[in-house]
Amino acid sequence: MSPGTENHELFENLRLELRRGSLVLAVLAALRKEQYGYTLRKTLGELGMAIDEGTLYPLLRRLESQGLLVSEWREEEKRNKRFYRLSAEGKAILKQLLAEWQSISTSLNGML
Amino acid sequence: MDLVDSYVRAVAKALPEEQREDISREISEDIRSEMEERQRDLGRELTPREQEAMLKQRGNPLVLAARYRQDQRSLTIGRELIGPVLFPFYVKVLSFNLGLTLVVIGGIFLALHAGGEKLSFSQMFSTSLLQILIQLGIVTLIFSLVQRHLGKHPDHWHLKRIGGGLALDLKTHEDIKARIKRQMQGWGPEISRFESISIIVASAVAIAWITGVQSYPFLILGPAATFLKLAPIWYSVYFPILLLTVAEIVRAVINLARPDWIPFRMVYRIALNAGGLAVAYTLLRAGTWVMPLGSNANPPAGYLHTVGIINQVFYWAVVFAVILSAGMLTFRIVEFAQKWRWHKQPRPEAGAAKEIA
Repeated sequence: MSPGTENHELFENLRLELRRGSLVLAVLAALRKEQYGYTLRKTLGELGMAIDEGTLYPLLRRLESQGLLVSEWREEEKRNKRFYRLSAEGKAILKQLLAEWQSISTSLNGML
Repeated sequence: MDLVDSYVRAVAKALPEEQREDISREISEDIRSEMEERQRDLGRELTPREQEAMLKQRGNPLVLAARYRQDQRSLTIGRELIGPVLFPFYVKVLSFNLGLTLVVIGGIFLALHAGGEKLSFSQMFSTSLLQILIQLGIVTLIFSLVQRHLGKHPDHWHLKRIGGGLALDLKTHEDIKARIKRQMQGWGPEISRFESISIIVASAVAIAWITGVQSYPFLILGPAATFLKLAPIWYSVYFPILLLTVAEIVRAVINLARPDWIPFRMVYRIALNAGGLAVAYTLLRAGTWVMPLGSNANPPAGYLHTVGIINQVFYWAVVFAVILSAGMLTFRIVEFAQKWRWHKQPRPEAGAAKEIA
């Protein structure tokens, strides 16, 4: 493997790691407004946080099992869809995470 | 069943049972939403090929299902041999194989004990351990090869048209264009290397068993081997059966090297099936499959009654084998004839055929 390819792979891994960390925050923030999976995925993509369905749905399930989201199956446009939104606990956690995000951002901006 | 259903079903099969329905519904809904949007954008229905491409983009159903599982265990010896995607299947297959091995070994030991053979604990322990290690080695090797293939070729899979299952395309150098062309020509998909390897392993085990039965009839008769022996007909069909099994290994080895030789496999299998039918018919005509052991000219009536019952069981088993062989042979001949006729028909231009497909 050439050093160029190795560097690219390393960068890709670090980039993915960085994005993975912010995905939870992005999903929680997007679900302040109730949405079903597909529209959520589209919204995130349009806002520059593209996420594939194989990552999004397991993440939604995890957040729901942690009590941060609530979901319900409902009919819309003649099809049953599962709608997700933030729970009360989710709202509180999101607030804390956003504060943490601001703090990290401020610190990093100071360093860069 | 449409392509989406097939895909969702393939994912569902690998999901935890308690969440299967819920997750499947959601995945299905997501795919259909995406398809609807694409259709709205294009102003027309998606073709099967476009649908297939969309599903391919979502990735291997096994990999997708693994992301939902809590169990992320893997087998690592120095490096990861079997990852979280395959690990649950590895455990299931291994448990089944080891369980079956222990039952068979236990049955053989019981038969030997009933036959008056004296076995020491160390003999039993070493035999069992050896069998377990062989099973462990073979299953681990097969799964680590599949794992390696999954890692190297994550897109080498397709959905089965019948039953909606998943098939991994275990080819080292995939020539998709050639495969599509061949499918359009009507010969069907290439023979997977996994299938060929499985047949070689299974046939090798079968040869070991067939050979063992010659010297140790308890492998087929179980504890009844203490008072029964195989009728002479079994010794007459021993070599034809052995020959057919070796021929199947030869065929699998050839198809391992040339997975594209599909017509060859069809013709070869017809010949093997015909041979199998001839053996089954020869067995059926024999009329007696087991005999009392020893040279007692006048065995007790109850003893003969038992032998009669066992022969009756063999009779129905052989009748079933004849019917099955005849059915298989007919099916293979008809299948080959249809494909041959299709292949020989004058075809429209390749471009036009693609449009139709």
